Amino acid sequence: MRANADIWLEHEPWRGSFGLSLVLHAVLFGGIMVYAIVGGLRRGNDWGSATGGGGEAMSATLVSSVPLPAHPDATNVVATESKGLSKSEAKAPETAPDAIPIPERQSKRKPWEKAPAAVRPQKPEPVQTATNVVPFGQGGPLAGPYAVFNAGGAKGGFGFTGGGGDFGSRYSWYVDVVRRKVAENWLKYEVDPRISNAQRVYITFDIVRNGSPANVRVEQSSGVPTLDQSAVRALQRIDTFGPLPNDYSGSRVSVEFWFDYKR
Amino acid sequence: MMKRFAIVLTVVLLAISAFPQQDWIRTGTGLGVEKLRLAVPDFKTPPGTSAELATAFNGTLWNDLENAGLFDMVSKSFYPLQTPGAPQEYTAAAWNVPPPNAAMVAFGSLSADGTNLTVLGWLYDVRNQTSPQVLGKQYREAASTDGARTAAHKFANEIIFRLGGGIAGITESKIVYVCANGRNKEICIMDYDGANSRQLTRLGSIALSPHLSPDGSRVAFSALSGNNWDIMMYSLELGRMVSFPHFGGTNLSPSWSGDGTKLVFSSSRSGDPEIYSVSASGSDLKRLTNVHGPDVSPVFNPQSGAQVAWVSGRTGLPQIYVMGADGTNPQKMTDQGYAVSPSWSPNGQFLAFSWLRRYGPGAPGARDIYLMDIATGKWAQLTHDGGANDFPSWSPDGRHIVFQSSRSGSDQIWSMLADGSQQKQLTRSGRNSEPAWSFK
Repeated sequence: MRANADIWLEHEPWRGSFGLSLVLHAVLFGGIMVYAIVGGLRRGNDWGSATGGGGEAMSATLVSSVPLPAHPDATNVVATESKGLSKSEAKAPETAPDAIPIPERQSKRKPWEKAPAAVRPQKPEPVQTATNVVPFGQGGPLAGPYAVFNAGGAKGGFGFTGGGGDFGSRYSWYVDVVRRKVAENWLKYEVDPRISNAQRVYITFDIVRNGSPANVRVEQSSGVPTLDQSAVRALQRIDTFGPLPNDYSGSRVSVEFWFDYKR
Repeated sequence: MMKRFAIVLTVVLLAISAFPQQDWIRTGTGLGVEKLRLAVPDFKTPPGTSAELATAFNGTLWNDLENAGLFDMVSKSFYPLQTPGAPQEYTAAAWNVPPPNAAMVAFGSLSADGTNLTVLGWLYDVRNQTSPQVLGKQYREAASTDGARTAAHKFANEIIFRLGGGIAGITESKIVYVCANGRNKEICIMDYDGANSRQLTRLGSIALSPHLSPDGSRVAFSALSGNNWDIMMYSLELGRMVSFPHFGGTNLSPSWSGDGTKLVFSSSRSGDPEIYSVSASGSDLKRLTNVHGPDVSPVFNPQSGAQVAWVSGRTGLPQIYVMGADGTNPQKMTDQGYAVSPSWSPNGQFLAFSWLRRYGPGAPGARDIYLMDIATGKWAQLTHDGGANDFPSWSPDGRHIVFQSSRSGSDQIWSMLADGSQQKQLTRSGRNSEPAWSFK
C-alpha cells in the first residue's frame, strides 16, 4: 500500500515540456499575426489575374429572359456597371517616308520618253467582312437590320409569311423581338464541341395569336444532330414571343428560321 | 531540442502558407445580344399643368424603362431640340441619325384638369418608315403624384411587355421585407423601386422571413410569439393578422407554392428542424425530410411546384439541396463552403443563393450571391467585393434579383439584374433585411 502511494507523490518532470509548449504557442501566434499583416498588405493584388486562382473561364447563359449585356471586345467580363465605351487602340507603326530614288542619268533615253514614275507600295487594306450581308435569296421585304442576327460566330435569319405577305415590313419590331428572343435562348454549349462548321439549317415554326411557338420542325438538317437539336430546343425553351400585334388580323404567322453555324 | 523546435516551426509556417488563394471566375454572358436603343423625351404638357405631376411621371417612366434591363436608354442631352408630343410632330429623320441614333422613341403628352390626369403615349419604331407606330395608349388616373406614378408604371409595363417578348414588366410589383423598428423587427412592404414603403405589422416582437402569396393577398412570415417561433399570416386585403395554426416547436421561413395552395416551412416540433408542407389554410401537415441535422429555408419550384430546394446541415456545414415536393429523391447541389437562402427563378431553371465558398477561420472570400443552373449544376457569381450579401429573391419577370447587402455599412435592400449588373440600393434608412419579391 505504502509503495503505491509513493508513486502518486512523485513529481513528473514537466517543466521542459511546458516551456517548449509555451514557446511553440508563442511562435504559432506570432506566425499567424505575421501572416495576417503580410497577407493583408498584398491581398487582392492578383485577383482576376492569370495567377489569381484556379478559376476556369466559364460561360454561362443566363435566364432566357435576362437581357444580357453585350461585351463584344471584353475578355474578362465580370459584372460591372461600366461597359467600357472607349477602347485603346494599338499605335500604328510609323513608317519612314518613302525615299524618292534619284533618277539615274540615262543619256540613251529618248527625250520624249518619260522617266518611269516611282511606284509607291500600296498599304494592304484590312480585309473587312461585312456582318450584315443578306445572302442571295434571303432578302426581300425583310432585309435590313431586323431579320439577320449574329450570335457568337453563328449567323441566322428569319423569313415571315402571314397576312398579305408584308408582316415583316409592317411589324419589323415584332421580328426584332423574335430575333432577340431566339438568340438569347440558343445555348451554344449544347452543340457538339468538335463541330466547327456546318451546313445551313432551316427550321420552320408558327407563332400563334397569343405568341407561343407551335409546330417546330427541322425543314432541312445541317447533318449535325446536336446542332439541329440545339436550335429546336432554343424554340421549345421559349414560352411566348408576346401576342401578335393587335391590328394584325391573321391568327398565326409562319416563320422560317435559318442559320449558319461557325465556331 | 532546437532541432525539434525547428521542425515544428517549419511545419507551422508551411501550414500557414498553404491557405488557398481567392478563386475568381470569369463569365462571358449573352455575347451578341445587344440592347435596344430607346429614347424617351419628356412628355409634353399644356400650359398650366402642374410641374410636379410632369416630373413624377417623366422620372418614373424613365426609371422603369431603365430598370427593365432591356434597353440602352439614349441620354436626354442627345435629343433634338423639338421633341414630339403627338404623332404629327414626330419625324423619323430627327431620331435615326447620331447623336440620338435611337431604334425606338416613346413620347406623348400629359394633361390634368382638377381631378383627372390624362396621359397619351406612343411608341414609334424609328427604323420603320412606312408603319412606325408600335403602341398608342391612353391612361386616366387621379391627378396626384401617385396617379402620375401609376400611369407611368402602366405605360412602361406595356412597352416592356411588347418589346421584351411577352413577359410582363414588374413596375407594379411589390417587395416585402423585414424592417427594424427600435428593438423590434416588423414586416414592411414597398414598390419594386423602393418607393412607397410602409409598415404592415405592429406585433412588438421579432418577425422574420416574409413571403407574399402568389395572388398578393397574404404575407406569411415567422414571428416570436411568447416563447415560440410560429408561422403567422397577415392579410393585405383586411389589413390585419389572420389566424394560422400553431404547430409547436420552432417554426421558421414559410414559403408559398406557385399556385398558392401550399406552404413549406421548417419546424422543430419533432425535436430536430425538418421540412414540412401544409395547405394554405393550415391543414394537411406533411413531413418531407427525415434525416438528423437541421433542415431549413425551403422554397417551391414556382414553375412546376413539383420540387423543393432547401438548406440542410446533415453533412456538417449548410448546403443547398433539391428534392421532390413529396420528399423523394434529395440531391445535393453545392458541395463546399456555406450555402444558404435558396430562391428559385420563376421559370424554374435557376437557383439564386448566398454562398461563402471557402468557410473557415482565415479563409478568404465573402458572402456573395450566386446563380446555379439546376440542370447542369454550373454556377456564376453575381456580386463581388461588397460586404455580406444574402437573401436573394427573384422578380416575377425572372430578370431581376433583390437581395440584402451590408456594403453600405448597414443591412439594406439592393436590387440588380439577374446577370449581376445594374446594382441599385433601394432602402437607405434604418436596417432592412430579408426581401422577398411578389409573384406578379
